[in-house]
Amino acid sequence: MSSRDRGRAWPRGLQAALRYVAMAVLALALFAVILLLAGKDPIQAYRDIFTSTLGSAYGLSEVFVTMTPLLLTALAVALPSRLGLINVGGEGQLYLGALFATWGALRFSALPAWLLLPLMIVLGMIGGALWALPAGYLRARGIVNETITTLLLNVVAPSIVAYFVFGFWHSPMDTNKTANFAAAARLPTLGGTRINLSLIFGVVLLALFWYVMARTRWGLEMRAIGGNPGAARRSGIPVARYLVGVMMAAGALAGLAGMAQVSGYYGVLLVNFSRGLGYMGFLVSWLAGGTPLGIVVTSFVVAVILTGGNLLQLTGDVPYAVINILLATTLFVVLARPSLPRRRKVA
Amino acid sequence: MTPLALLGVVSSAIFSGTSLLYATLGEIVGERSGVVNLGLEGVLLVSAAAGFAASAASGTPYLGILVAMIAGALMNLILGYLVVSRRANQLASGLALMFFGFGLSAWIGRDYVGAKITGLPRLTLPGLAGLPTLYGSLLRFDPLIYLVLPTAALVWWVLFRTRWGLSLRAVGEAPDTAFAAGRNPGRIRYRALLAGGLLAGLGAAHLSIAYAMNWTEYMTAGRGFIAIALVIFSKWHPLRAIVGALLFSGAVAFQLLLQSSGVQVSPFLLNTVPYLLTLGVLIIWGGRRRNAAPASLGRVYQGAE
Amino acid sequence: MKKKNVLSSLAVLATAALVLAACAPALTPQPLAPTPLAPTSLPAEATAAPTAVPTEAGPCLIIGALYGGPVNDAGYNQAMHESVMAIKQNIDCVEIIEAENVPEEAGATSTMENMIQQGAKMIIATAFNHQYPALELSKKYPDVIFEHAGGWEMGPNFANFFGNPPDTWYLMGKAAGMMTKSNKLGFVAAFPLGWTSTFINAFELGAQSVNPEAETTVAYTFAWGDAAKEADATNSLINQGADVITMHVDSPATVISTAESRGVHSIGFQSLAAQQFAPQHWISGTGYTLGDKLTWLASTVLDGTWQPIFLRCGFQDGCMAFAPYGPEVPQEVKDAVEQAKTDIAAGSLVVFAGPIVDQEGNTKVAEGETLSADAMGSVDWFVKGVNGSPK
Repeated sequence: MSSRDRGRAWPRGLQAALRYVAMAVLALALFAVILLLAGKDPIQAYRDIFTSTLGSAYGLSEVFVTMTPLLLTALAVALPSRLGLINVGGEGQLYLGALFATWGALRFSALPAWLLLPLMIVLGMIGGALWALPAGYLRARGIVNETITTLLLNVVAPSIVAYFVFGFWHSPMDTNKTANFAAAARLPTLGGTRINLSLIFGVVLLALFWYVMARTRWGLEMRAIGGNPGAARRSGIPVARYLVGVMMAAGALAGLAGMAQVSGYYGVLLVNFSRGLGYMGFLVSWLAGGTPLGIVVTSFVVAVILTGGNLLQLTGDVPYAVINILLATTLFVVLARPSLPRRRKVA
Repeated sequence: MTPLALLGVVSSAIFSGTSLLYATLGEIVGERSGVVNLGLEGVLLVSAAAGFAASAASGTPYLGILVAMIAGALMNLILGYLVVSRRANQLASGLALMFFGFGLSAWIGRDYVGAKITGLPRLTLPGLAGLPTLYGSLLRFDPLIYLVLPTAALVWWVLFRTRWGLSLRAVGEAPDTAFAAGRNPGRIRYRALLAGGLLAGLGAAHLSIAYAMNWTEYMTAGRGFIAIALVIFSKWHPLRAIVGALLFSGAVAFQLLLQSSGVQVSPFLLNTVPYLLTLGVLIIWGGRRRNAAPASLGRVYQGAE
Repeated sequence: MKKKNVLSSLAVLATAALVLAACAPALTPQPLAPTPLAPTSLPAEATAAPTAVPTEAGPCLIIGALYGGPVNDAGYNQAMHESVMAIKQNIDCVEIIEAENVPEEAGATSTMENMIQQGAKMIIATAFNHQYPALELSKKYPDVIFEHAGGWEMGPNFANFFGNPPDTWYLMGKAAGMMTKSNKLGFVAAFPLGWTSTFINAFELGAQSVNPEAETTVAYTFAWGDAAKEADATNSLINQGADVITMHVDSPATVISTAESRGVHSIGFQSLAAQQFAPQHWISGTGYTLGDKLTWLASTVLDGTWQPIFLRCGFQDGCMAFAPYGPEVPQEVKDAVEQAKTDIAAGSLVVFAGPIVDQEGNTKVAEGETLSADAMGSVDWFVKGVNGSPK
């Protein structure tokens, strides 16, 4: 059946860009409809989101603050996805990383920052890696799917954190948190903003991820496993070792994100400090197709949405949680993969 | 630990476990057809908010229950649209639905926080009316609680004793085979999600209208994920889910009793037991075929059109 | 597959309908019983100039208020909200920007920053865990005044205010002690905090003063506003025999509704609006009524005489008020409580005067001494007669 394939007339890059623009417009339009139905002014709302995020230096810095943990939690999903592993456990690994790092901060608070911070970073990564280990191991042995294991452990992690905070680390005056971290235990911030050093970590690690996947033998073997585990095993690649190792690495990344949150952002370990950061990372990685550059762009866009909600709450008189609707409509639109008029879907 | 205190634990477990059981039953139906709904938390939140709002606005809880059920069904239909019609990744779609639920429920419920509603009437079964008041007050349950066991039995019967249920399970195991046999996997999954959403809405209604009689943001506090774990724990079987739900909520009630008895067991560690238990049984089953999940669970059905 | 397309379009339409139904400003309930104070819940909007403006254009002072929860929760946040709105009632040219459900700790910073950028010169942070972000910002903006509720930090432009509940708890305990038939009282608490333990102790001491057999059992929910856990805790306490329930959580609504549905007495806290949930078995309750004090603070900001003060005031100064008694409360109970009120106000009755013995029998407050206000904030023991663990 020869049909004129009009889609091919456009360059691929332009096609992709147009598609993203169309999806963005559709998502914004959906949210605008919702706002209208509620009697709010969508133009004003979008203007507020814009001015409070991209329209001022402070706003932009807040966007980066929100974006920072997303880079790491998304990477924690993207890395194992190259092996075909689905790591939904970023949330739990984040909490455990925060837990271990907090132990370091409280126990060694007398140390100077240049010793304490690297120690906390290492502790955070160990915590996250340990939490991901059962999932990797059970998957490698073919006993339990890592999606289920990580999901279950996600729910367990905040309870463990609460146990330590309440049992050992809180003072009578404080409620559901530890004492404030000593200055030496805080990740330094950049300029006068609240952006902390882990933003650099995130970018560097993403670049490292790209390099490892594209240019090293490990990356090659990982892609082989992801493509065809049976064939990979037969050609001598130690699949089990990769499954466990990569899961632990992913856990370490999420753990680092957790450490950065309590050390850089909060300065205290608060029970239930993460409202879905790990899951958000999963969505960012998924939206970005697991590519490093995609992760940077997607987490930036998501961060803009989340940060904009703050001002929207004040001026638009909507609860802050409503910004989740905009986030969700964006996700729905991408998930629903609407096609541009020119392109035909081939069965 | 007097018998009265233990009976109190059972009573509390039944009370708080009912909403969990309904939600679990809903998720079982959906997962049996091959669709996992990670957004169950969001579905429960929206249903709870909508049901509570309707109760507060109309003055009758029964309208609230109806609205909650419809809300649950609609939320699940969103998932159905994404996962069946658009063939999107189930996990990502579920999580997106969860965030949607966070936002929508906050908005729906915003004006109704702290509203006073008429809850459901509490009745004792006719035979038990003669008990001394101390015991009697433990056994006064609302209609939704009395309905939950028959509902579980109904779900079991539909899934395992009707042709519709058989088709549903077939789609969950091998959608391609089912398609070859003349079934429409997409339509069946939609219907499963619809039914599941109604059940989830019922659970959410019980939580906000009959149990807590209130609405606050993020009110379900993880019940959606508890239900997902419970589905696994009960091996995707509606009747085993009853035991699981009682166990899970019984643990909470028991921990409260321990608290007041001065026994120093950390409530947080106790909270983790159900999930670790679930993980434990999964490890014990060890991936044996017989105990596995519906084979096509989580996989996108590509269709043959 | 035509049917599938129909089904999917139906789903989208249905979703739109759901959202429409949710957001349509149709039925606005009146969830709040009329209170003696400010008008009911409508969070103020940061729109243009306020309605009544004196000679100049624009408000004389913009105040930003943040709450940890929703302002219509019939509890702490509502009490704070009403106190803040009282400022506007008393000083007409003031404009108030409000934000509800503001996250704890560092999550509150951007909200406050946004308020300051909208022109707020006074920030009232009402949630416990907003203290440190507010303190940080106070250093960044030395010309903005920060008032925090319930904390302890102070700074050149950062101060603290709160009511003084322990005395009121004693009085409520008295009423509970006289009304209980099972001699078991139930207390639903969020966290084992120093202040919470003080409230529990005051409650039990009040009950013991009229009923030496009275025991208070404590159940923790480990959350400030988890309705399901509150229902769990209330049911558990009732199942253990408690027939008077009270609480220290953000919103008393669920606890009181649950108690009412089980036919058990309840005593409210945080806000006076709680009474509507227990029309029959309500005993009484207390709530924060800080409107006048906040108005005074705002007026000092306006005329430039503001000083950082650690402000604590009790029912004698009008910062805490008592709810009306419920229909089942006999006259003798009312008389006893009123008498005790007068005694406390006169200073002849001090709640935490020694000797006070804890659960293990150790003397925590010796004969002739009293517990200081500072010590009350870090109490980690319960008086004899309380069941439960204070840590």
